[in-house]
Amino acid sequence: MSKVDISLTIGGPQGGGIDTSSNMVSRAFAYAGYNVFSVREYHSNIKGRHSYTHMRVKQERPRSLRYPLDVLVALDSDTIFEHIEDVGENTKIIYDSSFEGSELSKARMITNDTAGRIRKTLEANGYSPDVTGSIKYMKDRGGIPIAIPFSKIVTSVVKEGTPSRYYNTLGSAITLAISGIDREFAEKAIRIIFASKEKVVPSNIDVVGAAYEFVEENKLNGIHLEKRESKERLLITGNDGSAIGKIMGGLRFQTYYPITPASDESTIIEEHENIKWLSEEHSKLAKGGIVVVQTEDELAAITMAIGAALTGVRSSTATSGPGFSLMAEAISFAGMDEVPLVVTLYQRGGPSTGLPTRNGQSDLLFALNTGHGEFPRIVLSSGDVEECVYDAIKALNYAQRYQLPVIHLIDKNLANTLDMVPNIDVDKVGVQNGVRVEENADFKRYSLDNEDGVSPMGVFGKNIFWMTGDEHDEQGHVTEDTEIRDRMMEKRFKKIKTAEKEIPLEERVELLGSKDADVTFVTWGSQKGPILDVIDDLAEEGIKANLLYLKMFEPFPTNFVRDVLTKARRVVNVESNMLGQASRVIEQHTGFEIKDSILKYNGRHMTEDEILRAVKNLIGAKEHMVVLQNGA
Amino acid sequence: MAHNYRNDVAIDWCPGCGDFGIVSALTQALGELNLDPNDVIAVSGIGCSGKTPHYLNIAGVHTLHGRAIPYATGVKLANPNLNVLVTGGDGDLMSIGAGHFVAEGRRNTGLTVILYDNAVYGLTKGQAAPTLALGEQTKSLPRPNMFSKVNPIALALTSGYTFVARGFTSDIKQLKEIIKKGMQHEGSALIDVLQPCPTYNNINTMDWYRNRVYKLEDEDSWDPIVTEDNVSSLQEKFTKAYNKGLEWDEKIPTGVFFDNRTVPPFTKRLEKNLPEYFSNPPSSQVIASPDGKTLVDPVETFRDRVIQ
Ligand SMILES: Cc1ncc(C[n+]2csc(CCOP(=O)(O)OP(=O)(O)O)c2C)c(N)n1
Ligand code: SF4
Ligand SMILES: [Mg+2]
Repeated sequence: MSKVDISLTIGGPQGGGIDTSSNMVSRAFAYAGYNVFSVREYHSNIKGRHSYTHMRVKQERPRSLRYPLDVLVALDSDTIFEHIEDVGENTKIIYDSSFEGSELSKARMITNDTAGRIRKTLEANGYSPDVTGSIKYMKDRGGIPIAIPFSKIVTSVVKEGTPSRYYNTLGSAITLAISGIDREFAEKAIRIIFASKEKVVPSNIDVVGAAYEFVEENKLNGIHLEKRESKERLLITGNDGSAIGKIMGGLRFQTYYPITPASDESTIIEEHENIKWLSEEHSKLAKGGIVVVQTEDELAAITMAIGAALTGVRSSTATSGPGFSLMAEAISFAGMDEVPLVVTLYQRGGPSTGLPTRNGQSDLLFALNTGHGEFPRIVLSSGDVEECVYDAIKALNYAQRYQLPVIHLIDKNLANTLDMVPNIDVDKVGVQNGVRVEENADFKRYSLDNEDGVSPMGVFGKNIFWMTGDEHDEQGHVTEDTEIRDRMMEKRFKKIKTAEKEIPLEERVELLGSKDADVTFVTWGSQKGPILDVIDDLAEEGIKANLLYLKMFEPFPTNFVRDVLTKARRVVNVESNMLGQASRVIEQHTGFEIKDSILKYNGRHMTEDEILRAVKNLIGAKEHMVVLQNGA
Repeated sequence: MAHNYRNDVAIDWCPGCGDFGIVSALTQALGELNLDPNDVIAVSGIGCSGKTPHYLNIAGVHTLHGRAIPYATGVKLANPNLNVLVTGGDGDLMSIGAGHFVAEGRRNTGLTVILYDNAVYGLTKGQAAPTLALGEQTKSLPRPNMFSKVNPIALALTSGYTFVARGFTSDIKQLKEIIKKGMQHEGSALIDVLQPCPTYNNINTMDWYRNRVYKLEDEDSWDPIVTEDNVSSLQEKFTKAYNKGLEWDEKIPTGVFFDNRTVPPFTKRLEKNLPEYFSNPPSSQVIASPDGKTLVDPVETFRDRVIQ
């Protein structure tokens, strides 16, 4: 069978069931043996504003998204307006025939600036600023409009309730039918998704049936996608991944104050606090459960997590930019008092409230410098959903081993991205405890006797010791003695040298792709996947490229990075921020200045096609910086 | 041998500071309660008051200004079998940490919160604290205080503290008894301690208080305790406590204002979701096999995310 590579978007009003659609379509493709990767884009709004899922389906695991789309499903007219630029040759545009004629000026949920931009595009090209004009615009660019009588199809099988409540199921089923997925998989998805709302299963199944019949009657189905052999897989987001990793890594205390896109992680942990064990024997050892606390604010979230950590439990909090700003003082405390603490920092578009539901990578420099004074910390970042799992475990281990705050960066793009993870290797990352004291006699919490800077830890409930955010002596009492001050500062920083020695280089940085390359990309976070796809695209055109992929920013893998960059022919830095924050960190550590960059700060996910276009422009030496703009 | 709850760290409070009385009452209370010293934890914020844990021979943490309550809550929720004390200033608990103070009332975690009420910011040289009355001008204020005062008793009651009391540093015996009761109380306790600061508060001095304080327990009919058996008296006792809490200028009541034993503490609320919470709390759970591997089956735990 030929290569399957389908890009599709399902859009509709926020609160109109886009998540369910995304889940249903992903699952149905997955049951048929395909792999799905999808990003959720949404406004900071509960009901009405444009919201969509952008996905890609392949035989192998997709790593990125791309435009133009193969299928655009519009559950409302706003979706048509918002995505006129996302269609190309042969894009199927599925929409409700009743949208025909709807005017852009009446689209209440599109802000004036966006509507103005779309209107300008349509009018400048001679199209009317309404659905009819927009459909024509897309058709003239190769799109294939497929108007569907949504209401008629739904009411033919569902006699009660509001028909529009089924539009997401209908749109999803039509998508699946047109893409050649067997009906049984669509039905199975419905049964699983609505398992807890059994009452609505039959009517949704009826709508699926009606959708398949409509597609059949109107001969809209093209190819048939055969069922492929597939193993059990997890369909999870970065929020899920981090939650899974934390539970596996022994986290038993988590705090949070609600904030997008971080709080889902905490509720996911709470929903899964009833842990299943690898063996019967384990279950006897380990019962008790995880405490998850929604606190009064982020000041409490982090300090409560620290308080818990002092009893020996693995503890963490999760937040995003605004909450992290509030946590700064306590991060400094955790550094000073050598508290094993993990903060999962979900990055969204800043500054201030910024783009609360959109992507960003603008908190790297902040994470490296949060808190007053000088203290050691570890800062690591994940680049795909699977990495979120293992990095969450590692973060907990590092915190215990080095007794310091560990900041785990995950961008919004991973937090809300559904990915298929074939297998979680329970042996890949161990769960290692830090050094603890047993005897209480003459216990010095901040003993200066240890070469590696790590003093054996005591815990509240077992040992008597003192702690203070003031500079302290070995016992933990306040001191301003000049010699002790120097030695304590040096002891704390020794731990970062120890970490540098102990943490394997491959956990901190990787050179992906061939050693010998014309272009060396540099990135971190969620651009990893799209860049790896771009590297393959470039290879087809005879251009050799590789990727210097950064995972740990503190301790920074200086020598390795310097070595790769100084030998590279052309270096292109790719980041979702305006300042090129990682390139600044690189320059600070290595002295190497990266000249070419591809940046994006409109809050939307980077797509394969736009990175490819941009890098070609850079190779053509037309410019040194390209700002990417894809995304509705 | 009895554990000595006072360690040998030199105390650096000003001579005559009311804080000495609190440490005396506290160490005596701990001695009389006969607890395992490992099971009592002192958590403080920042201020003169914040130094207290260093002077006690139990584990303690001197945290950040205003954050003693959430730190302490973290300790208690991770190990509900510990007795957790909070020692904080009026600036610490009633101003920068006021949000946590209110939230703790709602949680009723089971902390014993001792409020060092000196009406000034001692450690930053005598600025007005939230318990200083409007128009008062203590020594180091350039002009009279422009804020109205907060009433710790009323605030604690309305926030949900289930044990609300007041002590006075010059009556160590009464304060000791109050601290013992507060620690034995299952829910969260607020103990407002009238604490003269001879260095900066020249208005609310030791004598000023002495001339005004009286003991609630000296009134024969005073009974602040609410149990399941007399729960119908809840509203009446709350109102009485509140009204007593409003008394100030002429006569200042001390003693236990309110002792409500009918509200389950946060720890018991957690136990409803986690049946083995007390016997196997987060702090003592085994999280890895002897060879350092996870015990968790990620796929079975996340069965709802599995595609088959
Ligand atoms: C975040 C922060 N802001 C300000 C300070 C400075 N500061 C130290 S102690 C203190 C006030 C202490 O007053 P109070 O809480 O009443 O304690 P007291 O000294 O009176 O016992 C302040 C404002 C600080 N340590 N941290
Ligand atoms: S400044 Fe006031 S509160 Fe602080 S130690 Fe001196 S007397 Fe006590
Ligand atoms: Mg004070």
